[in-house]
Amino acid sequence: MRQRQGLIALAFLAPALVCLAVLRIVPAISAVVESFYTESLLRGGRVFAGLGNYTDLLSNKDFRQSVGVTLLFTVLVNPIQVVVSFLLAVLFTQRAAGARLWRTLVILPIATPPAVSAVIWSVIYRPDGLANGVLERLGLPAQPFLTSPSQVLPSLIVLLSWIGVGYWMLFLIAGIQEIPAEVREAALLDGAGPWRRMVSVVLPLVRRPLAFVLVADTVSNLLVFAPVQILTKGGPNGNSNLLMYDVYSRAYAIGDIHVAQAEVVILVALTLAIVAGQFRLLRGDQ
Amino acid sequence: MKRLLPATIVAVAALVAACGGSPDAGAPAAADQGPETGTITFTGTDNAETYQPVIKAFEAKNPGIKVTYTQIPFDQFNATMQQRLSAKDAGIDVYTVDEPRVSQLAAKGFLTDLSDLDEQVKTKFSATAYKTNHFRDKLWSLPMWNSTQFLFYNKTALAKAKVTPPTADPQQRWTWEQVEAAGRKAMQSGGTKYGLFMEQPEAYYQLQPLAESLGGGSGIEGDDALTPAVETDGWKKAMQWYGATFASGLSPRGIGGFQTGPVFAAGDVAFFVGGPWDLKIFGSSKIDWGVAPLPDFQGGKPLTPTGSWSLGINPASKQQGMARKFVEFATLDAAGNLATTSTTTIIPANLDAQKQYTPQMDGFSGTKTAGAAAITTYESEHTAVSRPVSVGYIQFEEVMGKAFADIRNGTDPAARLQEATRQLTDAWKSIK
Amino acid sequence: MKRVSLSVLGGLVGLLFFLPLLWVVTNSLRPGSETFANLSPLSWQTFVELRPTVTNYASLLDSAIGRATLNSILVSAATVVLGLAICASAAFGLAAFEFRGRGLLFGVVVLSFLVPFDAIAIPLSTMFRDWHLTNTFAGLVLPGIGNGMAIFLLRQFFLGIPAELVEAGRLDGLGWFGVFRWIYLPLSKPALIGAGLMLFLFQWQAYVWPLLIGTDAKHILGPVALSNLQGQNFTDYGLVFAGAVVLTVIPLVVIAGFQRYFVQSVSSTGLK
Repeated sequence: MRQRQGLIALAFLAPALVCLAVLRIVPAISAVVESFYTESLLRGGRVFAGLGNYTDLLSNKDFRQSVGVTLLFTVLVNPIQVVVSFLLAVLFTQRAAGARLWRTLVILPIATPPAVSAVIWSVIYRPDGLANGVLERLGLPAQPFLTSPSQVLPSLIVLLSWIGVGYWMLFLIAGIQEIPAEVREAALLDGAGPWRRMVSVVLPLVRRPLAFVLVADTVSNLLVFAPVQILTKGGPNGNSNLLMYDVYSRAYAIGDIHVAQAEVVILVALTLAIVAGQFRLLRGDQ
Repeated sequence: MKRLLPATIVAVAALVAACGGSPDAGAPAAADQGPETGTITFTGTDNAETYQPVIKAFEAKNPGIKVTYTQIPFDQFNATMQQRLSAKDAGIDVYTVDEPRVSQLAAKGFLTDLSDLDEQVKTKFSATAYKTNHFRDKLWSLPMWNSTQFLFYNKTALAKAKVTPPTADPQQRWTWEQVEAAGRKAMQSGGTKYGLFMEQPEAYYQLQPLAESLGGGSGIEGDDALTPAVETDGWKKAMQWYGATFASGLSPRGIGGFQTGPVFAAGDVAFFVGGPWDLKIFGSSKIDWGVAPLPDFQGGKPLTPTGSWSLGINPASKQQGMARKFVEFATLDAAGNLATTSTTTIIPANLDAQKQYTPQMDGFSGTKTAGAAAITTYESEHTAVSRPVSVGYIQFEEVMGKAFADIRNGTDPAARLQEATRQLTDAWKSIK
Repeated sequence: MKRVSLSVLGGLVGLLFFLPLLWVVTNSLRPGSETFANLSPLSWQTFVELRPTVTNYASLLDSAIGRATLNSILVSAATVVLGLAICASAAFGLAAFEFRGRGLLFGVVVLSFLVPFDAIAIPLSTMFRDWHLTNTFAGLVLPGIGNGMAIFLLRQFFLGIPAELVEAGRLDGLGWFGVFRWIYLPLSKPALIGAGLMLFLFQWQAYVWPLLIGTDAKHILGPVALSNLQGQNFTDYGLVFAGAVVLTVIPLVVIAGFQRYFVQSVSSTGLK
C-alpha cells in the first residue's frame, strides 16, 4: 500500500525532481568538483589541488573577515526584518481607513530593478543626499553612512529592508487573516490590551508562516550581493564584504572560478547550519 | 528506484565535469579563414549608435559582409566575455578589448594572433598604444581609441574668489599643491562646496599618474610583472596627499559612479579631473568653465593617463577572414577609425585620424573648450603613461580599487598599501 | 480615535516607503542633467516637478526597452505558469502521500534552494550551450521553473489541508489527480499566488543569467536593456529612470492587484 503511494507520489514529483536535479543539483556537484582543482595560467590548464583551495581560503585574513561580517549581518538583519514585517502585517490588518492603499505602497519597492534601487539609495546616503538633508532639517549632524566602517552594515540593512519587507509582510498578513474571527474577537472581549493580544493570541497562531518567513528570509539574505557590488565593493575596510559578494567578485570579476566554488561550498554549508539551527529552535517550542 | 537516482546523478556529474575542461592556452588562429561573405557578430559596451557609422561605412566598402552589433552592459562586460570566450562561443567574432587586459586575455587564449600586422601598427599608432597591445612579443589586438585627462575649472567660482585660473598651456601646467590652495580659496569665498574632485575617485586609471609623478612606479614590477610594488615612497606620498584631500573636506566622500560629473556641472566643485567625453557633457552646464592640463606634483614629472579600447578577434570564431577585415577597417584605416568616434566623444587611436579629430575638440562646448586640442596632442606625445602590462592586471585593478576606496574613506594610507601588497601576493599566487 | 491614529501611522509608513520611488518618477520627467540638482537643501521640489517633460520617454522609443519589457513579461509569465504546475505537483506529492524516502526527497528539494543560483550559473551556462539553448526563450525560462522555495511554501500549505476532505473526495470516486485538481488547488489560492510571486520575482530580477547564455537583440530582457542605457563614462539618469518606470509599471500593477487575492482569508473558502 505504501509502495503504491510512493509510486504515485513520484509521478507528481517527477517533473520537479528532474528540473531540480538537472538545473540545480548537477551544476552544484560540478561546482563542488571544480572546487578541488586550480587553474595555472602560466603552466596552462587545470590541476588537481585537493583541499588546497579550502586551506587557502581559511588561512586568508580577508575571507575570515568576510565570514565574520556575514555572520554579524545575518544575526542583525533577519530578526529586524521579521519583526518589522510582522509589526507591519499587524498594523495593516487592523480595520483602518486606507490600509489597503498604504499596504500597496509598502509592497511597491519589491519590483524595483536592482540597478535603480542602488541609485536611489546612493542618493539617499550621499553626504549631500536625502538622508542628511532630513537630518539637517532636524538639526542633527550629517552622517557618513556607507563610508563609515561602523555604519555601512546598518545602512545596507535599511536598504534591503526597504526592498524586501513588503514581500514578507504579505505572507504574514495572509497568516494573520487565517486566524478565525472568533478567536480575535474573544481576545478583545477578554479585555486584553493590544500588546498582550498580539503576543499571546496572534503570535502563536501565525507560527507556521513566521517560521517560513524566517527561514526564507535568512536564506535570501545570505545570498545578497547586488547592493554591495554597486555601492560599497565590500568596504570600507571589508566591513560590508558579504560572502556572496566575495564569491561573485572572485568568480566574475577576477575569474578565479575554483576558489570561488570552494567559497560557495563553505557558504552553503554555513547556510545549512544556520537553517538547521533555526529549525531546531522552532521545533523545540512545540 | 530510489537507488538509481543518486547513481544517475553521479554519472551525469562526471560527464559534466569531464566536459568542463580548460581551454588551450595561447592557441593560435585556425589557418582556415572561413567564408568570404556573411554576417559577423561584434560585441562591445557602448550603445548601438556609437558603431553605426563605422559599420555602415564598412558594409558599403565590403558588399556581402554584414556586421551585427550586440551591446553588453559595461559592469558585466568583462565577466560575461570571460565566460563566453572560455566556453569557445563561436557566436562572437569581434569584440572590444580593454587595453590593460590584453595580456591576460592573450594568455588565456581568447585572442587571435595578429602579429603579421605588426609593422603597420608601429607606424600608424603611438608608441604606448603599440606596446600595450603586445604580449610576449606578439600583437593581439588593434588600438581603436585613446584617452587623456583634463583639469576642468569653474571660472565663475575662481573669479569670485579672486584666483587667476590655470592656463591651457601644457608647458605651464599647475601643480596639485596650487590646485589645492586655489580650491580652498574657492570653498571659502568662491561659493563652491568642494575644491577638487576626480571623475573616477577610486580607479587605478585615474590615480596612477599621482604615484608615477612622484616617481613611485606603476605598482607592479618584476620580470614576470607579478611583484607588487605599491609601498614605494612615491606611492606612499601620493596616497597620503590623496587621503588628506578627503579628510580635510576638499573632496567629497560618498559620491561615486556616474554621480561625480554632475557635481561639477552643478557648480559645486572648483576643480574637476575628467576625460574628453566631459568636453561635450559639461556643455549643458549652467556655469562658466574652462579646460587646463592635468596637474603634476611640485618637483615631480608631468604624467597623464592614456589608453582605452582596442578590437580583438575571438579565436573560436569560424569567420576569421571577415572579422579581420572589419577590425582592420575600424583601426588601421584612418577614415574607418574616425568613423568610430563620430557619435561619441573619444579620441581615435589612429594617428592620422587623431590629427583630423583633435582640432574639433576646441569647439565641443564653444569657447569653454578652447585649448583642448593642444593639450590632447601634447599629452599624447609627451606625458602619456599607460597602465602596466601584466597577466595579473585584473586582480591588481580590483585590489587597488578597494584600497583607494578605503584610503578615500579615512584608512591610513601606509597601512592600507601594506594590506594591498599582502592581498596582491595572495591573488597572484595561483597565477605563478 | 484609535482607528484614526492607526490610519495616520499606516499612512506615514506607506509614504516613507513610497518617497524614493516618487523621486525616481519625478526625475524621469526632468532632463538628466537636473537629476542631482535638487538634492540639498532638501525641498519639496526634490519630489515634485512643476514643468514635466516627456523627452526621456520619447527617447526610449529608440532604445530596446519596449521590446525588453515585453520579453521580460513573456518570460516571467511562462515561468510562473510552468513553474506553478511543476512545483504544486511536487508539493502535492510530498504532502498528500506517506512513503519511504519522503523525508530524503524533501531534503533534496530544500537543498536545491540553498544553492546560490549565481554560483552555479557558470557550469549551467556551459551545459545550456552544449544543448544549443543559447539565444532562446526556453533557455531563459528553464532555470526558473524548478524553485525549491516555492515547493517548500506550497508543501507547508498543503500539509494543512485536512485528511477528511481527501477521504471524502476519494470516496466520491476522485482519482489522485482529481484530488489534486479539485480539492487541493482551489483551497490553496493564497499559497499559489505566493509561490507565483516567488517564481515571477526570480525571473524578473534575472540579470547575470541572460548575459551568460548570450541573448541577442530579439531576446533581450529588461534589466539588461536598462543597464545598456547607462553609458560608459556618463549616464543620463532621466533616461534610465524613465526606462525603469516603463519596465516596472506592469508588474507593479499586477502585484498590487494580486495582493488582494493573496491576503483573502482562507476561512472564506469553506475550509472550516
